[in-house]
Amino acid sequence: MIGQIKYAVKYALGLDKAGNRFTVYDDDTFLVSYPKSGNTWVRFLLANLIYPNESVGFANINRLLPSPDVLSKRFLKKVPRPRILKSHQPFDVRFRKVIYLVRDPRDVIVSEYHFNLKKRYIAADVTLEEFARRFLLGETSSYGSWWEHTASWIGARQGNPAFLLVRYEDLLADSIGETTKIAQFLSLPVDRERLQAAVDRSSANRMRELERKQADQWTGTKNTVKDIPFVRSAKSGGWKQSLPATIAAEIEAAWAPMLKHLEYDLVNSEKVQAPAWARSPLAPAVR
Amino acid sequence: MVKRLIAAGKHLLGLHKPGRNLRVYTDDIFLVSYPKSGNTWTRFLIANLVYPEKNPDFSNINALLPDPEDMSKRDLDRAARPRILKSHQYFDPRFQRVIYVVRDPRDVVLSEYHFDIKRRAIADDFPLEQFVSRFVRGELNHPYGTWGENAGSWFYTRQGDPRFLLVRYEDLQSQGMEEMRRIADFLGIPATTDQLSFAIEQSSANRMRELEKKQGHLWSSTRETRQDKPFVRSAKSGGWKAELPEASVVEIESKWGDLMQEMSYELVASRLAHARS
Repeated sequence: MIGQIKYAVKYALGLDKAGNRFTVYDDDTFLVSYPKSGNTWVRFLLANLIYPNESVGFANINRLLPSPDVLSKRFLKKVPRPRILKSHQPFDVRFRKVIYLVRDPRDVIVSEYHFNLKKRYIAADVTLEEFARRFLLGETSSYGSWWEHTASWIGARQGNPAFLLVRYEDLLADSIGETTKIAQFLSLPVDRERLQAAVDRSSANRMRELERKQADQWTGTKNTVKDIPFVRSAKSGGWKQSLPATIAAEIEAAWAPMLKHLEYDLVNSEKVQAPAWARSPLAPAVR
Repeated sequence: MVKRLIAAGKHLLGLHKPGRNLRVYTDDIFLVSYPKSGNTWTRFLIANLVYPEKNPDFSNINALLPDPEDMSKRDLDRAARPRILKSHQYFDPRFQRVIYVVRDPRDVVLSEYHFDIKRRAIADDFPLEQFVSRFVRGELNHPYGTWGENAGSWFYTRQGDPRFLLVRYEDLQSQGMEEMRRIADFLGIPATTDQLSFAIEQSSANRMRELEKKQGHLWSSTRETRQDKPFVRSAKSGGWKAELPEASVVEIESKWGDLMQEMSYELVASRLAHARS
């Protein structure tokens, strides 16, 4: 009851965390991804592109590209429009204009495992194998499973001109080219120098440096295990070394249609059956 | 501010309608569909299968298969579990066991058109073609997205999952017994053929029309709507072939053709174009 009263007071004052209950405007743009898929990186890229005169860092990223999941409704109302908001929500029909960032789930799982250790969401002795089972079931995140997240957005919006799908891997391989696409989608000027500056200022090295200085000033890193970094490898394909082959095979077997749809190479799905306990949607690839 | 205080007070007492912010339990079962896709009919079918002793009708259907959009949080928390909840929501990862009823969007739009006239959202003479364009763009007065967003978000995430049952409205009409058997199996109810056919009879369009005449004022969806227009309308499939302008058929199929074919709805736009040339 006390909790309910506290919530009621916060609600009346607009101080409750917006989550998915905030007012969405028609001119909002959302940068959406499953957790651990490069969202913070793209947030930095965009902030540096849009605000070349700001010293973009972890200390001010929540102000520059706000996240409704950690900010209050009152704060969000005061953000100048048109807003670009960061989100990890699965499909939300109110989000009219969406940049959807997707990353190979075999890398996502490794990243999420380390992040969960960093955040102390899991005990230090939980193994990657134990974590993997819960990851496949979508139990390691409040946003559902990777499969459900991507399928809900792609299933609902693929082909919609207000939906831009960006692969994390493409962004790494051709940062300028992909950032140009994003800038065009947002009707931002695509001045080569400015793009290059934004890419340079959002490099993994620079973000690591900023993390060292500002980790205590950002909700994502505050009060977490300091010897596990937030900006970790910032690479693609790391799973080939760090993910046990059995787990990679299970992910491939469970989510093959979406992996194929997103043109991620499968290395062993033909040999392995999807584990019986995993969600194994049999739908044909999303067109 | 006053409005927000009232809302906060309602929250405190659990009198608000939770809608998408519903507290979900792992044993909840959801009957989900896009609006005007046979959800009420299926609700009656399931209510008559699961709770035949309660004589389901419009006066108690909300209590038997509760609607989080239309009931207070307090009442929802008190509902007996496992709950079978009615919903029009697009994909929600918290819904673990889902029966999704899908209907041909070319019929859905006609049904929605007539329903919007009944509830005075549009005038009697509102041009149907214009309404279809609104429907396709998602400019309707409800928060459930477009037909493609709603059906696509569920279908692509859950198809093939043993906890997901896709039921086509058209199949429910043409092979009611088979479909009811699938639903009963999904719910884990060992129903006899008699029980299934009883549920189907009790939920026939004629019986529901009769109930609507007597109880239209008792149910939230029909209360305060035009009484000269029925809620239970044709209850048929394929009405679009006679009623929907050709341009509207083309508009719908070019927007959602892939998903429609995925769900075994036959596309006719190209044939129409062919026949014309």
